[in-house]
Amino acid sequence: MIRQLLVEPYQLGFMRRALLEVVLLGVLGGVVGVHVLLRRLTFLTEALQHTVFPGLAVAFAAGQSLLLGAVTAAAVTIVLLAFLTTRLRIDQDAGLAVLIATFFAFGVVIVSRRTGYTSDLNQLLFGRILDVDRRQVVETAVIAFVVLVLVAVAHKHLVLVAFDRAQAEALGYRVVVLDLLLNAAVAATVVVAVRAVGTVLMVAFVVTPAASARLLGRSVAATMAIAVVLAGVLGWVGLSASFEASVNQGLRLASGATVVAAFTVGFCVIGAGTQLVRRLGARRGLAKAAL
Amino acid sequence: MALIGPNGAGKTTLIRAILGLMPLTSGRIEVLGVSPAKARGRVAYVPQADVLDPEFPVSVLQVVLMGRSRRIGWLRRAGREDKAIAMEALRRVGVADRADDRFGVLSGGQRQRVLLARAVAQEAELLLLDEPFNGVDATTTDLLIEVLADLRATGVAVVMSTHDLAVAHLACDEACLLNRQQIAFGPMGEALTADLLRETYGGSAVVLAGGATIVTAR
Amino acid sequence: MRSVIDGFGSPFFQRAAIEAVLVGSLCGAVGVHVLLRRLPFFVVAMSHATFPGVVIASVLGFSIVAGGIGFGLLVVLGIVALGSVRALDDSSAIGVVLAGSFAIGVLVLSSRASASRDLSAFLVGQILTVTPADIATTVAVGVVLLAVLVALHKELIHGAFDPAGLGALGYSTRALDLIVLVAITVALVTSVPAVGTLLSVALLTVPALAARQWVERVVPMMVVAAAIGAGSGLLGLCLSAAFDVAAGGAIALTASAVFLLSVTARSSWSQLARRGRPNPVPAAT
Repeated sequence: MIRQLLVEPYQLGFMRRALLEVVLLGVLGGVVGVHVLLRRLTFLTEALQHTVFPGLAVAFAAGQSLLLGAVTAAAVTIVLLAFLTTRLRIDQDAGLAVLIATFFAFGVVIVSRRTGYTSDLNQLLFGRILDVDRRQVVETAVIAFVVLVLVAVAHKHLVLVAFDRAQAEALGYRVVVLDLLLNAAVAATVVVAVRAVGTVLMVAFVVTPAASARLLGRSVAATMAIAVVLAGVLGWVGLSASFEASVNQGLRLASGATVVAAFTVGFCVIGAGTQLVRRLGARRGLAKAAL
Repeated sequence: MALIGPNGAGKTTLIRAILGLMPLTSGRIEVLGVSPAKARGRVAYVPQADVLDPEFPVSVLQVVLMGRSRRIGWLRRAGREDKAIAMEALRRVGVADRADDRFGVLSGGQRQRVLLARAVAQEAELLLLDEPFNGVDATTTDLLIEVLADLRATGVAVVMSTHDLAVAHLACDEACLLNRQQIAFGPMGEALTADLLRETYGGSAVVLAGGATIVTAR
Repeated sequence: MRSVIDGFGSPFFQRAAIEAVLVGSLCGAVGVHVLLRRLPFFVVAMSHATFPGVVIASVLGFSIVAGGIGFGLLVVLGIVALGSVRALDDSSAIGVVLAGSFAIGVLVLSSRASASRDLSAFLVGQILTVTPADIATTVAVGVVLLAVLVALHKELIHGAFDPAGLGALGYSTRALDLIVLVAITVALVTSVPAVGTLLSVALLTVPALAARQWVERVVPMMVVAAAIGAGSGLLGLCLSAAFDVAAGGAIALTASAVFLLSVTARSSWSQLARRGRPNPVPAAT
């Protein structure tokens, strides 16, 4: 039964590639996601996934590489955000909202110029994880490897900056360079992930496993490890569930959304579990104090 | 009365508890003879000016009128009398000429004065101030002390948290030394002894001629 | 789409224009509260999180607005509950809820046959198909929302500026916060038929931010923001008809253009003013 659910679907080549892609994104998202939470960059991640949309749309319309389009749009976003917040002194959140609105609207306008645009729109918004080809998996692997190496090398410094910015500056670290490195890592993660899971669900790969792990992990490294394992396992379960429902039960479930739903269920279970343990612990503590 | 203690001693927490903004784990607080929830409105609170958003689009007069909200009531706008009281309060702290400016363009000292004016306009019986002298120029400090003295003369109780011992001496006649727990409470001269201060701050207190005390942190 | 609009005089277009102006002005005015309380991320989150409510209502044949608002309220409560979990700040709680609930919406939709057309209608709006009933809903919602915001104006502004001070006066800041969050959610859902869930963010933030460049007080800011929202709605609709592009996208882009103009005008104005004065007064600290 379990074998039929969790193993057999992957005898098909496209399911194998999809699983590989999900696991790669899970590893990348888990590690980068912990940094995102430490630095409170959730909104930036959310904004980036929407602002790369016009890049995808233009590349799609022009028949160019989606990756190239997404990278360009992400770079433009970060530059414009810096301009809005520093030169025009606009609140970071408000600036991000403006960028989301403008970029996303631009993408919609471009896509809507094409006939039969709804299916194109859907592909760009939700990705087609089952259509991932070998080249895309290789690209994801290479980018993930580079980002992970960079983040690992700078790990100690990134954690220090997240914890105590002033201290890091006083120690002579180039805080701006570290900021840039982290923003670039987030942008790279967003860019590779949006191709597979689209520009609205991608944020879950970064935020949800990391947030679940945060409830369990005691150190930054442990949190990362838990996030990576969670993302891999839940991604596997989600993908299998969508396959089983769509193929054997006749209930079509979008695969990307099912994976994200699995992440969310995992988060809810862990959240409820830790709350329960804390409550029980508190009660036991009170009982002990009463004795 | 001055609440005196190092950072993290619980000064702000105590003030927030008196305001009823914090749940109590144990114990009971009585304010003006009733529970904090019932005393609200009769207690005025002056936050630190720098916790407020300087970009927020409100005028100085509007800030002072916020103190009158409770008296104006729901669904109504400030009347002529409220505006007159608010302007009088601004005059008392010497920034009446800035009434129509945006709150954020004022200097730190002027903002603190406006917040005091707001508390004055509220016509409360108890005034709670959180570090009112932080980052404030000497003129403003003198003026704040003067206004607080006037208020006390009209029967308003004043409680402030501070770590500036010299100002506490000038502005208050009682002190409560605090560091996670109450260390001393009483008239200024009795509470602010070198020994008690050393216990509060955990450092060494240096007593200078003339009774002034300098505390160096750990 | 061109077959639907036989020129600007068609009843479809007229209804669309009325809806665009109504939604634009309502969201513009409410948007000022979004900025004052620094809630843009909340708006983005709700624009995703109300999506399943809209989808489920449409599948079951309920009113989309009612479904979106109902689900939105659940999500607001969910965020408030998660926010109290230690080790998670508000924004990560919002991030988890946002992506999770959006996935639910997509799942519900993907199980249906005509999924992809419905989906894009929800995401980017279909203003040319608004019905007189939609317009009536928008008017009713708008009147109620504006009445609440005007009636509680004094308290809401105080709460946004200095929540501790308001709490000290004996007001329930939590109740007032909840009123604002609900008002924003309602405004957002109301704008779904016109600009879709994702682009409603544009109308709830951009006009207010543009208005902020011109005026310094809250009430004038709400008026100016409403005007900019209405103008962007109308102009964007005309542009979308003229160039045959999605209306929601055109409306959002028009609002962004107004914002860009406002920012440029303000910064060149302040530069001119500085040049006019040889000895500038140092900025107050």
